[in-house]
Order: sequence, then C-alpha cells, then structure tokens
Amino acid sequence: MRSVKHLLGSRAALFAAVGIVAVGIAAALIVVSVVGSSDKKKAGATPIPATTAAATPGTTAPGSTTAPAPGFKVSGGAATAKLFGGIPQTKNVLGNPKAPVTMIEFADLQCPFCRDYALNALPTIVRDYVRPGKVKLVFAGIAFIGPDSETALRATYAAGLQNRLWNFLDLLYRNQGAENSGWVTDPLLRAAAQAIPGVDVGTLLSARRTTEVDNALLATQQQASSARVSSTPSFFAGPTGGTLNRINLTSLGPSAFRPTLDALLK
Amino acid sequence: MTDRTLRGAIAVLALAGAAVAAYLVYARYTGTRLACTTGGCETVQHSKYAKAAGIPVAVLGLTAYVAVFATTFSARVEGAAIGAAIVLAGLAFGVYLIVIQVAVIDAICQWCLASDGILALLAIAAAERLRRVAAKP
Repeated sequence: MRSVKHLLGSRAALFAAVGIVAVGIAAALIVVSVVGSSDKKKAGATPIPATTAAATPGTTAPGSTTAPAPGFKVSGGAATAKLFGGIPQTKNVLGNPKAPVTMIEFADLQCPFCRDYALNALPTIVRDYVRPGKVKLVFAGIAFIGPDSETALRATYAAGLQNRLWNFLDLLYRNQGAENSGWVTDPLLRAAAQAIPGVDVGTLLSARRTTEVDNALLATQQQASSARVSSTPSFFAGPTGGTLNRINLTSLGPSAFRPTLDALLK
Repeated sequence: MTDRTLRGAIAVLALAGAAVAAYLVYARYTGTRLACTTGGCETVQHSKYAKAAGIPVAVLGLTAYVAVFATTFSARVEGAAIGAAIVLAGLAFGVYLIVIQVAVIDAICQWCLASDGILALLAIAAAERLRRVAAKP
C-alpha cells in the first residue's frame, strides 16, 4: 500500500494536509461551541423576543402595580458583571473563602429594602471589603412575602450551582417588580440567566426543582428560624468560623456597615 | 532522539492528558467536587461552554488523548500525521477555551490549563515526529 506521503507527493504537501485537517477540526469545534452556547430557543422553552426594550423592567419602581410583560431583556447585566467580576463565588458565598470576617444577609428577593441595600450599599462593601479579601458575604434567601419570593429564590439558588448566584441575585434586584404581582416569570428568569456570561441557561432553569435547591432552601429556612430572623434584610457578622452576631442598623447605606466590619477586622 | 523515543514521549503525554480529562469526566458524571486552587473549575465546568454539540468537552478531550495514544503504536507516516492533526486541533481549541475562560466566563479552570500545557508539549513532540517520519525515504 502506498503511504500518505507518496500520495501527497512531498513533505510540504503532507504538512499542509495535516495543518488543514487540524484547522478544520478546530474550526468545527469552535463553531459548534459558539452555536451551542448562544442559548437559542430550546424545545419547550418560553420564547423571548430579541428586541423588547419598551418592556424592559429595569426602570420598574418598587411599589409599581404592574408585572413586567412576558418577553423582555433585563437591565443591568454589564453593571452586575463589573461589580462581581474576578471575585470568587462558591454557591451562595461571595469572596475569598479564607476571609477573616463573614457577613450573612437574610433576604427576600421581593423585599424593596433588600433591593435598596443591594443597589446602594453592596457595591461599596464589595469594593472595600470583599474584593480585597477581608470579608466574605453569604446570601441566605428566605421566602415569606409570597409565591414570587420562592420562585425567584429557587432560580437564584440554581444559579448558585453554577457559582453565579450573586450575579443572578443582583439582576433580579435591578429588575424587581411589585410584591406578589407575578413579576417573577420564566421569561424574566431566563433573561436574567442569559445576561450572565457563561451561564448554562437551560441547566439553571431545570435545576430549580432539584433536591440540591430544595435542601438549600430548607437549610436557610432553619438557619433563619434559629437566628430568629423576623424581617428582611437582616444581617449577621463575625469572625469566619466563629459566632456571628446580628448587626443593628440605623440605615441601609454603606456607612452603616463600616463600624461593625472595621471592628471585626481589627 | 529516535522515532521510538518520540513515540514513547507522546504516549506518556497522551496518557497524562487522558488522566486529566478522565478526572473531569468522572467529576462531571458523579457530581464530585473538583479539587481546585484557582476557584473557577466548577464555574467553567458548569458553563455553557463546557459542551460542544451536546458532548462535554472533557469527553472530547479524553477521546482525543486516547486516539493520540493509539497512534503511537504505528511507526507509519499515517500514524504520525493523524496524531499531529488531532493534537494541533486540540491545541487550537484549547487556546479558544482559554480566551473564553478569561474574557467571557471570568473564571479559570486549572485542569483545563494543565490539559492545555500537555497539549502544547504534545504538539511539539507530534510535529517533530511527523517531520522525522516524513523525512524518511
């Protein structure tokens, strides 16, 4: 049998053939990867129109009585990515796992005060304490306002299974609707997931009813009961691995957290 | 360095790559948490870029490493050519995935980097093997 080299006629032709085959395989893999990651409509999934700016709920004020129309994009994707970019996330924990101080927040995703904290105080806390590795934040989601709370919470913990809970949480706050208005729709959750680079949207949505998410909700509920959390947001802080004590706040601005966190870091 | 030595080196590197890929495949299908010092392994492995055409990239990698290993049993130019083509394609795809990790996912998987390092060494060895085999009359 004649060899490939003889068939091709020369060494140069052989090298060229190998190179062309290699580039072809790599290009095919990259195309398949890009196409497969573009989150096109999947069978059974709720469609989202590409351009629905008019229905973007990012400007929906807390207290608004209208739920966002189905089919829209979420706002704040870039800001969220910038806020948390480069900070390690593991499930519901944000920041260096070995940070000396831990702060836990009990929150309901429908709670407008939780939203205020997330949008006004959290960026400063992240910048000054979390990003430098001084403090790690733990999200403890509880659902007591209504059905939308649990719907949002399940999707948020499902995002945590891909280590993007904080991005998802922040996006929901930025697009929060009125309490129990039915604002937490599948299109909203899908759009929020799509706004986070790298997230597998289908996996996130299908993980909402998994045992892992069930267990996370149950564990947080038990944690809230034992900590006697009766309102949201509630904050506890302390040395990592030690006892966390409730932070008594007079406001939800960033300066309200500094005395406690600074004292713990001394 | 003889062709036999080169094929041995390629076989060892392919087995090392296969071990890394096999670990990622095992972790994926058993739900085992990956040992990870970069903190981003789980994020990358659960991202939408961890699959190509519905097949986990780790499975593709394992298949490719096994195929490269198989080519070392052949001293013919075809074996060297197929091995080089697979390795070069894998390296190019690996570079693409590094760009995705850094620029899109914002997380680094150390096991992916280890595989890329092995692929880079394999590419040098496979190219040299092809050059030597092709030079034979």
